Amino acid sequence: MGLYEKTAAELSALLESKQISAVELAQDVFARTAAVEDRVQGYVTRTEQQALAQAQAIDERRAAGEALPALAGIPIAIKDNICTKGTLTTCASKMLYDFVPPYHATVMEKLDAQGAVITGKANMDEFAMGSSCENSAMHPTHNPHDLTRVPGGSSGGSAAVVAAGEVPLALGSDTGGSIRQPASFCGVVGLKPTYGAVSRYGLIAFASSLDQIGPFARTVEDAALLLDAITGHDPLHDSTSVKTPFEGSVRANLNADVKGLKIGLPKEYFGAGISDEVRERVLAAAETYRGLGAEVFEISLPLVEYALPVYYILSSAEASSNLARFDGVKYGYRTPHAGDDLIALYTKSRSEGFGAEVQRRIMLGTYVLSSGYYDAYYKKARAAQRKIRAEFASAFEKCDVILTPVAPTTAYGLGAKTADPLEMYAGDICTVSVNIAGLPALVQPCGFDGAQLPIGMQLIGPRFGEQRLMNAGLAFEQASGLRNIIAAL
Amino acid sequence: MAIARKEIEHIASLARLDSSDGIFDRLAEDMQGIVGMVDKLAELDLGDITDVIDTERKNAFHEDEVIQRYSPDVLIEPNAPDFQAGGVAVPRVVE
Amino acid sequence: MKYQPVIGLEVHAELSTKSKIYCSCSTAFGAPINSHTCPVCTGMPGALPVLNRQVVHYAAKMGRATGCTVNQLCKADRKNYFYPDLPKAYQISQFDVPICENGEVFFYVDGEKKSCRLERIHFEEDAGKLLHDEIDGTVVDFNRCGVPLIEMVTRPDLHSSAEAKEFLEMIKTTLSYLDICDCKMEEGSIRCDVNVSVRPEGTEELGTRVEMKNINTFSGAVRAIDYEVARQIEVLENGGEIQQETRRWDDVKLKNTVMRTKEDAQDYRYFPDPDLIAVEISDEWLRQIESEIPELPLSRYERYLNEYGMTAMEARLLSDSFAKAELLDKAAAHVKPKAAANWILSDVSKYLNDKGVELPDTKFSAEKLVELVQLIEAGKISGNAGKKVLPSMFETDETVAAIVARMGLEQVSDEGAILAIVQDVIAKNEKAVADFKAGKNVTGFLVGQCMKASKGQGNPQIINKLIAQELAKC
Repeated sequence: MGLYEKTAAELSALLESKQISAVELAQDVFARTAAVEDRVQGYVTRTEQQALAQAQAIDERRAAGEALPALAGIPIAIKDNICTKGTLTTCASKMLYDFVPPYHATVMEKLDAQGAVITGKANMDEFAMGSSCENSAMHPTHNPHDLTRVPGGSSGGSAAVVAAGEVPLALGSDTGGSIRQPASFCGVVGLKPTYGAVSRYGLIAFASSLDQIGPFARTVEDAALLLDAITGHDPLHDSTSVKTPFEGSVRANLNADVKGLKIGLPKEYFGAGISDEVRERVLAAAETYRGLGAEVFEISLPLVEYALPVYYILSSAEASSNLARFDGVKYGYRTPHAGDDLIALYTKSRSEGFGAEVQRRIMLGTYVLSSGYYDAYYKKARAAQRKIRAEFASAFEKCDVILTPVAPTTAYGLGAKTADPLEMYAGDICTVSVNIAGLPALVQPCGFDGAQLPIGMQLIGPRFGEQRLMNAGLAFEQASGLRNIIAAL
Repeated sequence: MAIARKEIEHIASLARLDSSDGIFDRLAEDMQGIVGMVDKLAELDLGDITDVIDTERKNAFHEDEVIQRYSPDVLIEPNAPDFQAGGVAVPRVVE
Repeated sequence: MKYQPVIGLEVHAELSTKSKIYCSCSTAFGAPINSHTCPVCTGMPGALPVLNRQVVHYAAKMGRATGCTVNQLCKADRKNYFYPDLPKAYQISQFDVPICENGEVFFYVDGEKKSCRLERIHFEEDAGKLLHDEIDGTVVDFNRCGVPLIEMVTRPDLHSSAEAKEFLEMIKTTLSYLDICDCKMEEGSIRCDVNVSVRPEGTEELGTRVEMKNINTFSGAVRAIDYEVARQIEVLENGGEIQQETRRWDDVKLKNTVMRTKEDAQDYRYFPDPDLIAVEISDEWLRQIESEIPELPLSRYERYLNEYGMTAMEARLLSDSFAKAELLDKAAAHVKPKAAANWILSDVSKYLNDKGVELPDTKFSAEKLVELVQLIEAGKISGNAGKKVLPSMFETDETVAAIVARMGLEQVSDEGAILAIVQDVIAKNEKAVADFKAGKNVTGFLVGQCMKASKGQGNPQIINKLIAQELAKC
């Protein structure tokens, strides 16, 4: 068994007991990357030289007798919308084709302090807009379980490199399902933390009020390990960050006992549109929980049908403003065709630099904020958001966690859905309300479909319910054996 | 609600996007669909939710102290498409 | 037809915080290009704002000082537009819930008390500076990006350029009383946009208004308003119509030109900044803010007129400066206000002007001023001696008595000692005595001789009295 096949927790133990070195580990995962990456294409930028230097430094510190954090020497891939000082950060966009951040995102400062080894920047849908990774201006990423299919998105690259065994851990970001849907398509674990639990400073914003950085891993314990490393109040840099009750202690407090756990199944999430195979596997997972002593019962979350419009209004409105700074003036792409005309410099730089999907959402966002429509759309969406939040809050008075599907189907073929954005958006139905309500949600594999493609399930928790989610996830993982799944490539 | 071509052009100019671009016609069509979905919100009864400020969290401040750790040669110059005389350069702006 | 101008102002004042509104970069003026910048204020991808607590404090303070209601719950909004001096392509400002609303500012114009209502005060970030002289194109300096501003918007309550000027002066004086703005006009610390319309005298309906930008001084505001009022009247008199538009004032050519017409009015797409959270000013915080507001210039002005019996000019000069007004009021608790005021308006002001320093930066104090006035009133030193000790009062920690002693300026009021001098002088000036007997007035001459003999330290009143007494004996 290659080192690349081990979990981060196992590798951490091996490193700590000096049975392996961080350099050996890095070389092993790079060998795996060399073998499969040309087929998966999960990375936009690989930083192997730098990673080896980081690994070397960790080995030296360990050899000198220093006690190091659990992540020291563990390879991690980073979604390409998280600013890495000195390393290209493109958001998979022509707009940022040459952008090298002069600063680290807060999560990168934290990973650095923990001694993590950064393997590279993972592919994504441009500016995190999309759910197939096909909107990358660089190249599409392929699902490691079936190279003709999409890995999901927008964090498709992060999910794919973890699923392909190129790295045990990765960071992604989730605005409407961008961690969870690719985790589901690629058969890995992905967590969208409570809004504010992880600092967004240095995450290139798509929709500020919905964006959240979170971990990808192949086991629940590994996801907890990475979550612990990145969580934390960041009062100097992110006004929306908060102090969480679980800060850094989720892995230490993992407990697979789910006896008496109240699990709600919202009927609206299992209705039309969800494929039979997906519905069956998720309901089977519910049965597994019942067998473990949990109480499983149906609940109702009727406002889910409004979640999509609310999501598209809020996310597009914020995106139209967040992406205005990409104007060809300060960094990134500047059109060579503007001459002496400032307006042309703006317009051409933006039209040439942004892809179609990004422009579509900027247009929609500009429209809903423009005079005459603000009250009808944006204000109304904000009010609806509060109603949705309240609906979840009252649901959590009855149950501890909510179990739902993640996506209506398993991974679809490359090119199959890009033609119709509406159809693509409909795939977000199970995930967006979690962002709207600011809640944490865990996705992990719960089975395979007839084509041997992974099916994921989603556990939604109340605000700061990460520990509860991870415990429930661990219980299922142990009962089902569905853990550390590496695609055969 | 239908979106007129003229309106699309207005929005594109606000967003500084090129409305003569080839992708533009499809954009209008797609937006129409999205806006149709968005119109669904109109049927939602929002009752008493009228206040304009989200009070779930309040007051995140930095204290009034200077921390100066970047210089323009590190911060601005390396990424600037056109860097001259200590700053990013743009075509002459006539105010 | 007679027309009445109707004027409203939007005044921007830079707050004198040490750090910027949404990051910790320095706000110091005049730094090398782009040296006071960071990822936040240059709009780097991924950078996020965190509000400077002091900005909220200062803005609320100005609000309370101008009679505004403070919205104890408010928020920041984005104002979206593209311009090279705005690196995020939106300005973080406040839209529908500003920090302060509904105030009123009082001021005097030619002895008549007037007022102008404030619609709102909000806080926002300044934009950068565009430099046109460095290169063929334009270079952007981001140092000013994120310097905190408050914008004060008035109701259209002003009716002449003189009223506008006095209103602006009162805003400036109030800002300096509160110590929240350095009020350096040459550094652009206070700027204003002017809205002007005219209407036939006696009518109520507002005319079409024109906004004027690029006004950098208060005197420039007067010129711009006078020009625009005249222009609008001329248009109307010629049967024309005023267009709702924005015009740019040129204070060199003394005229304005169209910048934007109503048709290309901006759509700023304001919405709450999702990177920031609600601002709540607790009752306790608000009380703290209020407790820091000193007695304001208008109240002092009126008190100096009515209680201290000063002229309008004196009252204005004293109340315009917080430091001088404080000095006066502290001194007036112990000595005659008029005496203290005379010193402040004459020698104290002259010293400050000559040296180019501000009162708080010197060692001068109200205690010293009181001591000085009391020494003179008690006849311990002469007024002239007072002028001589004054510079040391700014420069040393000594008491005035100690300075007087060090400089040997104590006045001799001992009648015995003075009598000896007087008798000696009379004895030496037989001609003067003879002149006196012949009916001439020689007192002045003899006083001068006595002062000379006492090296200027003899109390002139006592000398006078004793000369009269001794001459009578001759």
